[in-house]
Amino acid sequence: MESISTTRSSGYDQSRRKRKKKPPSPPPSSVQKWRSEKQQQIYSTNIIQSLRELRISDPSAKPAPPRGGGRAVRDAAYRSLAVTARGRTLWSRAILSKAVKVKLKFRKQNRSRNSNPPTTMISITGNNRLRKKRATVLRLKTKGLPAVQRRVKLLSRLIPGCRKQPLPVVLEETTDYIVAMEMQIRALNAIISAVGSSSAPRPPTPEIGRDGEETHMLVVEGCFVE
Amino acid sequence: MSGRRSRSRQSSGTTRISEDQINDLVIKLQQLLPELRDSHRSDKVSAARVLQDTCNYIRNLHREVDDLSERLSELLANSDTAQAALIRSLLTQ
Repeated sequence: MESISTTRSSGYDQSRRKRKKKPPSPPPSSVQKWRSEKQQQIYSTNIIQSLRELRISDPSAKPAPPRGGGRAVRDAAYRSLAVTARGRTLWSRAILSKAVKVKLKFRKQNRSRNSNPPTTMISITGNNRLRKKRATVLRLKTKGLPAVQRRVKLLSRLIPGCRKQPLPVVLEETTDYIVAMEMQIRALNAIISAVGSSSAPRPPTPEIGRDGEETHMLVVEGCFVE
Repeated sequence: MSGRRSRSRQSSGTTRISEDQINDLVIKLQQLLPELRDSHRSDKVSAARVLQDTCNYIRNLHREVDDLSERLSELLANSDTAQAALIRSLLTQ
């Protein structure tokens, strides 16, 4: 009897083993994704491209006057961040749709040269995963504490696109937004140190064998390589 | 499920998102905040406190991004070698 049961169980095990596939590793969470080196590189590429477009445009044009330059850079930074997010979050879609509206309005006013639609534009109506949750949470009574509700409202105003979202949506968007912003700050710091050091004021007579400068530039590039 | 945490009123029957889920989200958020992450009293930080610190942190982040973009725009406006430096940094990454 035992042998029968064991064979049966082993047979069962074997068939189970055959059928059982290795469970796929869970996809990286959004937090891990934003902290990865790859994301930062993608973002840096995006923002550097858009910054170059800013400069290439006519200096007398509206987008990049020297006074409002900071704002233009900041808008470019957020746009690139939203693009890097690939449109899977509410805040990124909100930033992109805002940018499109401004761009269309600007274009209509000026009727200037054809600017190319950004090739990295992601369909804004794409991902409706988050919209599904909204319908089921209308009657949410938990966490009805006024303090919590008040703070969630404040928070929802800080995060683009989340003004009318229910609590769990706001919380999810917040976590993603914070990690994305942290990456943005890291990337901006890296860019500034790269641009700043190499465009440091040079002496009037360019000396080729200037050791100090050379090593300094090497150090910067060393940082980037790793 | 309704009896696990008696902090709030009785949850309505149509609640699909449980309070536990919300608490998990709040805890996840707390892990991201630099001040609250290393707090010893990690299980006693109230949700309101987490949310308030989150607001402050996000405002700080916004301000920092604004500062950085100001600096970057000044750098770019000042010299044309900055342009080349941008391109170079793109290639070396």
